[in-house]
Parts: sequence; structure tokens; C-alpha cells
Amino acid sequence: MKCCICGREAATDLCRYHTEAEEKVRNAYPLWVKAYGRIEWRDFLDNVKRNPQTGQWAKEIAEFLKGQ
Amino acid sequence: MLFERHSQLSGGYTLVLCEKPDAARGVSDALSGGKYRSEQVDGTTVFRFGRKGEEFVVCAAQGHVYGVSDPSAERTVYPVFDIEWYPSNLIDESSASAGRRISAVRKLAAGASKFVNACDLDVEGETIGYNLLRYACGGKEKSALRASFSTLTGEDLQRAFDNLRPQMGWESARAGRTRHAMDFVWGVNLSRALSQSALDSGNRYRTVSVGRVQGPTLHFLVERELEIREFVPVPHWKVSGRFERDGVKLTAGYARETLETKALAERIEQECVGREAVVVAAHRSIITVVPPAPFNIGDLQKEAYRAFGYTPSRTIQIAEKLYLGALISYPRTGSQKLPPSINYRNIIRGLGRIPEYSTHSAEILKLEPKPVQGVKSDAAHPAIHPTGEKPRGHLEASESAVFDLVVRRFLAAFGPSARRELAEATLAVGEHKFRLSGGRTVSPGWMKYYGRYAGYKNVELPLVSEGDRFRVTGVAAEEKFEQRPPRYNQSSLLEKMEKEGIGTKATRADTIATLVGRGYASGESMEVTDIGLSVVETMAKYAPSIISTELTREIEDKLEAIENGSGGDAELLRDTVRTVAGQLVELSANEAAVGREIDSALTATVAKSFVLGKCPVCKTGDLRIVRSKTTKKRFVGCSNYSDGCRASAPLPQKGSVKTTSRPCECCSWPVVLVLGGRSPWRLCVNPGCPGKARP
Repeated sequence: MKCCICGREAATDLCRYHTEAEEKVRNAYPLWVKAYGRIEWRDFLDNVKRNPQTGQWAKEIAEFLKGQ
Repeated sequence: MLFERHSQLSGGYTLVLCEKPDAARGVSDALSGGKYRSEQVDGTTVFRFGRKGEEFVVCAAQGHVYGVSDPSAERTVYPVFDIEWYPSNLIDESSASAGRRISAVRKLAAGASKFVNACDLDVEGETIGYNLLRYACGGKEKSALRASFSTLTGEDLQRAFDNLRPQMGWESARAGRTRHAMDFVWGVNLSRALSQSALDSGNRYRTVSVGRVQGPTLHFLVERELEIREFVPVPHWKVSGRFERDGVKLTAGYARETLETKALAERIEQECVGREAVVVAAHRSIITVVPPAPFNIGDLQKEAYRAFGYTPSRTIQIAEKLYLGALISYPRTGSQKLPPSINYRNIIRGLGRIPEYSTHSAEILKLEPKPVQGVKSDAAHPAIHPTGEKPRGHLEASESAVFDLVVRRFLAAFGPSARRELAEATLAVGEHKFRLSGGRTVSPGWMKYYGRYAGYKNVELPLVSEGDRFRVTGVAAEEKFEQRPPRYNQSSLLEKMEKEGIGTKATRADTIATLVGRGYASGESMEVTDIGLSVVETMAKYAPSIISTELTREIEDKLEAIENGSGGDAELLRDTVRTVAGQLVELSANEAAVGREIDSALTATVAKSFVLGKCPVCKTGDLRIVRSKTTKKRFVGCSNYSDGCRASAPLPQKGSVKTTSRPCECCSWPVVLVLGGRSPWRLCVNPGCPGKARP
């Protein structure tokens, strides 16, 4: 099976790297909610995608999750 | 012929073996007082002169002229455990000069009655000398004498040749030969296994190497790269306040530097603005700052990177050149100590003849010069220091820069401690506290000698006292995001290698250069490529020992034990063979999977090297380097060509074109680096770039 983002070998629809990045993105969401008091999931993903500090794989995951 | 005749007449001469041609000339010049004759033997320049009634012939290697290889000479065969030392020209055709130098030494050895190893006094130098004496001189390694010196100045060399050591450094040579043998077994087997797997899988050959130190070093880069690529920043807030009293204005940061929630930041803002602040603590103190330790090679490499942006390998090349020009001491040293035997006064007096340093020199010489010493030591050499010689010819800008850095660091070691005043104050606005701090140099001490490299800034803090009251004129809460970890640069990677105890002071810079050369990392910030990532991933999965820092460190310790005379070389080689063989079994059992992964990373890396950046016309495609099927010329085209995007641009047809990460400041089209012919030059690929318009 290939990763649906980068085409690397994968056990599920995401490779090891994108799976780890997905976990990081999901773990960050409650921290963002706490920081702002409230933020919608899709707004969070948009912000993560746009932020220049976000890593390449995390950005790709944010885009991927937005499309789901 | 000339030397054979001479030896028959005189009963033999002393053959001196140096590591490099410039060193041979320097030794000859110093020992003969400039009265030497240079002659050619088998295309190699050798020097002849008389000294104290003794006839000398000085000849040089060109670094290592012998290397380890396998007798089969089959580049695809592995495992390879049967290895021998061969002349380098038999291993690598591009090392033809090694053959000529060996041949010259062999001829000269036939007429020599005494042998002196005058190669650099370290593991590599002992290894080079040992191999020449053993193989080219016909087993003279046991009877050869050793010249030991740390600078190529006349005084140092005269002293070294008046006090020749009765034998060379056996243990160092043994450690050096073991390191070479072990690194060959390690590198050749694993590199061939990986390259062959990729070839079998993708039908394309490319050397995919993984050396003993290279593997763990690449692993450091990959670990950091994963952190960066998976990084998700979390917001936080920083609050700062502006305060005013009788025209005195201050800006201070909130005492808790990071606030996790926007609500808290806003609450502080509301509760402070327009109120009165009271200085609840004010403190000034004087601290002394001792001079930095004298340079060892690692410190010099890091400082040259900080000051000039030079890579560690460039710095060591420059330092080597300065050493061969007798301007600085031997640079491949781990020592941070300057022993009195180097004669401080002489060196400082010598530096006084160079206008830039004359004032500092005179100042230091007024008192009894006593340098600060670092912690690290090296039995063979002192810390890097100037010799006191004035540059005779023209120095290139980079050589001048490193020379200046070495001289100033040396002079700084003799300077008094600097004194800095640090000031801190705390202002309270109700329950909220704000802090401000500053610092200034009140007595520069050694910083005066170290000049612009000292790097201490002055941030003045107005005088405030406890009980002073200020009006809060403004409070600002600024949204910030966590910064992702920085990538290693060549300097911080070298520091990491030092800290982890892998590689040696002499080889770390080369290991880093190899990672770049192999295409595992690119750019100043050492961004890991797909192939670099894949090599580590494959190793982690199938041959984890190869990228293990612990194993590499353990081997370094064992090599050091050999050098100190307490370790066994045969035992270490046996362990190496066992480790490598075990890992090869794993790799070959998974050959197809390994090949597939490496090949697919190679494909991705190659494809990425053609992508210049986002297309500024259609905004969705990538601008890529494409080669025309009809004219075979290269040009820039958009990946969305089939969807109608016609963005294209011509490219120079000569030289190689490399991508850069920065787009053009005028038109945001990609900028490429063109290499070949002249110096590298940057080119915005947009033919209509406004930045190209003539004024």
C-alpha cells in the first residue's frame, strides 16, 4: 500500500511519517483550543497550514484532514 | 641515479619523510638556512643539503599514498574481509602522483643510511610515515627516528632535528592503520550492499554509501529533520509594558515570559494599562568575564563559522595552509593549552612587527605574559597559536581572516578578565510584575584584543531605584508561536559529533563534507534529502548497529585505547568483521525491500533536484528544468503544461544549474545557481524580470 500523500510504502493509507505528523496535529488541537478559548477544527487546520513554523508533513496532513 | 651515486661516495645520507611537499620545502629551508638544492626524482621534487656535517635528503608524500583495499578489485562484490595495504594509485587511478612519490622514496631509500619520519605528529602522520618506511623503504619502520614539532618555524625545526626521538609513535600508527582497515571493511561492505540492492531494484547504479561515522552523523540530521517536518506550533502570548517618569521611558517584559492563553494576556493588559508601577527591586552587579580558552581545532572551526560563515572543512584547509606557511602551529590539535615552551614573549614580540597587533603586543609585553588555559589537552601538540612570523607573501582574504582570528584569540588569552555591569529591575503593577535587564562592558580587558569576535553587546539600563514610581503608558500582548527546532548547520553538527564522541578532530569535517557530497543533505542548513532519509530509515529497519551512536563511540574508545597502548587491534578488527557480517546477513535477507526503498528515494531526490519552485503564472504547478526532446536543450517549464500553463524560460546551456530556496525579490520567480567556468552566479529564470532591466 502507498501513502496517499507522498506515495511512500505504508501499512494504512498514510506512511509512518504522515501518521506521526497526523498524531502531532491532532495532539496540538486541544492546546490551540485552550490557548484561544475556542477554535473550530477547520479553522485550526487552516491556521496550521498557513503558519510558517509548521513542518512540511504537518502542513500536508492539515490539508489532507481538511479534505476529509 | 644521482642519489645512488652520491650514497656510494658518502656512505649514505639521512632520508627525511614529510607529509606534504610544502612541509618538505619548509623543513629543508629551515634546516639548511635556505641553502638547499631541489632536484627531481621520478617526477617528484626532493631537497638536498648538508647540516652539521650530515647529508640530508628530504622527500614528501602527498597525504596518504597507501590505502586499504581488497585484492579482488571487483567493485560490486561483497562481503569483503580479506584486505591489504596498496599504493593508492593501484586503488584509484586518479591518485597517479602517489605512485610517483612512492617510486621516488623507494629509490632514495636505497642510498640512505638513516631515516627520519617528519610527518605531522598525530595518528594520520604516524600512519603515513609508517607505511612509507615499511613498504617503500623496505622495512625501516623499526629503525627510523622521529622528528617532533608543532610549527614549521626555523627555531622549532632546528630543535626537533637536534633532538630526534629514537623511534616513531608505534601505537599511534597502529591505531591509525586499524582505523583505516576497520573503516574500509565497514564502508565498502555496507555501501556495496546498498548500492547493489538499489541497482537490482531500479536498474540504475549510484553509490549509496554509509560509513562508520557517517551513519550515526546522518542519523542526527534525520532525527532533527523528522522533528522539523512533523512540527506543529502552539500559540502563546508575550506581554510587554511601557513605563514613563520625568521623561525617562522604559520598556519591560512581563515576568512570566510565556503566557499560554489569550484570555490571560488580555486580562493582564486590562489590569495594567493606565495604572502606576512601582520599582520593587533594582539591582546592579559587576561580573568578571575570563578570556576564552585558546583554540583547539573544533573551537576554531566553530568560531570561523560564527565569524565568517566558513564550513569546518574550509576552515581546516585554510588553517593547514597557514601552518604550512609557518604562520600558525599545527591545527589538528585537541589541546586548549599554551605551554611556556612555545615561548610566549618571542611570539608576542613577533606579532608586534605586524602593524595591526603592535599596540596590543606592546601592552601585553609590559607585564609577565601568562595565558589563560582551557581544560582539554593533547599530548602531541599545544593549542593553535600564531608562530610570531609575519606573512611573507600575499594572503588570500579567507587566509587573512582565519590568521587574524587565531592571532586575536591568542592575544586575548593573555588579556586581563573583562568586567561587565549587569542591571536588573522589577516593576510591580498590582499583582503583575515586569522585568527589565541590561548590561554593559565597563572594563574590556581581553575583549580589546579579541576585537569584533568578542561579541558582547551593550544594553544600557537607566538608573532606577526601589520605590521609584512610573506611569504605565501602554501594555501590549503579542501573539507568538513556538519556533520549530533549527536545522543543524555544519558547525552545530560538528559540535554535536564532538559532544557525542564520534569521529576524530581530524576527520569530523570530512565526514560532514561527505554527507553533502553524497547528496544526503543539502544547503547551508543541512536539509536532509529523500535519499538521506531513506538510508537512515533502511538502516534503522534492517541494520540498526550501523547508525548506532553508542557502537561508534565504543569503537572510538577502543581506538583511543590502542593509541594509548592498552588496546588490541586484532580484537577490534575481529569485532568489526563480526558486526558488519551480522548486518550484511540482515540486509541481504531483505535485499528486495531495501532496494525498492533506496531506489524510490533516489528517484524522488533526482526528481526534486529538477524542481525550481512554484509556478508564479498558474500558481499551482511547479517550474522544473526540462530538456527539449527535439533540440536537447534545457529550459524551464511548468508541470501544468498539459493543463494549459505556458510559463517557460531559457536556461544557460553550459555549466550545471542548481536550485536555490529563495525566489527572486523583484518578481518571485525561482533563482538558480549556475556553476562552471567562472565563479558561481545567481540567475532569476524570468526573462522579463524587472530586476534585469538596465537603468
